[in-house]
Amino acid sequence: MFKKLIYFVALTLVFGGCSSCGNKGVDADQEFANLDSAIEEEVVFDPSVVQEMAENVASPVEIAALIKSLKVPFSKDILAPTKNIDGLNTSFKRAIGFGVYGADLGYINMYSQNSMVLDYITGIKTLADGLKVGQFFDFTTLKRLATNKENIDSLMHISTQNFNKIDAHLKETNRSSLSCVIVAGVWIEGLYLSCQVASIIDSDKMNESIGEQKIAFSTLYKMLSLYKKDPNISELVEDMKELKTIYDEITISYEIGEPDMVEENGVITFKQNDKSNVNITDDQLKRIREAIIKVRNKQIGG
Amino acid sequence: MKNKVLIISLLTLLLGVFAGGVAKAQTEDELVEMCGMLAKGATYLKDFKIKLDAGDPPPEAKYSLVLTKDTKYRFAVVNSKDLPGKVVLQLFDNTRLLGTTYVIASGKDTPTFDLICQKTGVYHLKFYFKDGQSGLAVGTLSFVEKI
Repeated sequence: MFKKLIYFVALTLVFGGCSSCGNKGVDADQEFANLDSAIEEEVVFDPSVVQEMAENVASPVEIAALIKSLKVPFSKDILAPTKNIDGLNTSFKRAIGFGVYGADLGYINMYSQNSMVLDYITGIKTLADGLKVGQFFDFTTLKRLATNKENIDSLMHISTQNFNKIDAHLKETNRSSLSCVIVAGVWIEGLYLSCQVASIIDSDKMNESIGEQKIAFSTLYKMLSLYKKDPNISELVEDMKELKTIYDEITISYEIGEPDMVEENGVITFKQNDKSNVNITDDQLKRIREAIIKVRNKQIGG
Repeated sequence: MKNKVLIISLLTLLLGVFAGGVAKAQTEDELVEMCGMLAKGATYLKDFKIKLDAGDPPPEAKYSLVLTKDTKYRFAVVNSKDLPGKVVLQLFDNTRLLGTTYVIASGKDTPTFDLICQKTGVYHLKFYFKDGQSGLAVGTLSFVEKI
């Protein structure tokens, strides 16, 4: 009997050990196969397209950095109020909200407004839990970093990494449409913040940046249009048509230059020497501002 | 006596299994952390996890991303020690090579490089492993500053 038990334990260990060694690759392949088939059922296009288009369309860090570089003081009045989060009670609304409040968190982090971080990460955690991706949002660490006023870089790093993990998980679990909606939320809030800042300071750089959003918007609009079968996304695309009309009017011209390579402090730096000129009028800026306020406030109930 | 042999065999097996667990492979998250250390002083934006089989011509992984005018970005790559391949990252605009972690002219490998971006647009990243070896690596994109 004892001998049999030993054999049984040994065999279990051998097969258990081997399966845990080898499974990772198989599971990953299986996940990709599932993802591909699911997307094919949803809409007919190369599944890699969404993945490719989604990279870095809207980065809250970059938008916040631009605002800060213009020496515009922090203003909590332009942020989405966290009291609205309870009203975001469907997957679509939570995903949009997740993007919007995520962009706000980037702005808050950039200005080191640690006292506000807790409020926003609590709200974002609620939205993440509602989307069943709360396990990827490291609330405990973020809370510790915020309350102890620890390194702001770590706070930004972890929050960005959490967002990327959630984005990746949604794609891996056949929920690419929600990942797309989150990106839309980030982009909407980024443009909203930029327009609010542009309305209080006279900055060619900010105006040009708003005009250059034509490029990100064009990618985002195409991305969302792929999921128009979803009535919520279809409505969002419809709401964004006004922005599309305005951005279609804006032109960007380019001058091509040869890139340079220099070594600075041991780091190789490639300097692009192309130039771009954005042609945007005050009227177009005003119309973009009005359109984005409408879209953003409809989504978060502002 | 037979039982003793069996018990010793079982203990050896147990040790083997647990030792295997301890000497585990580097995770992709660990590689991202290492990339973060390489790109010190820059704010992490995105990571790209690359796992490619051996092949001739070398298999490639490609990504597109939007980069913004008047911004300095830092790209970094880290190879996993678990596979032999040494990764090369190349950054292109629509037509030209703008930056790379492997400068062919000098034969120099550099785990990081900066790009001063002067034109908002869609850019393309290409990753491959030298000599078409199999490899596991992570690349990161970080934000350095607005110019």
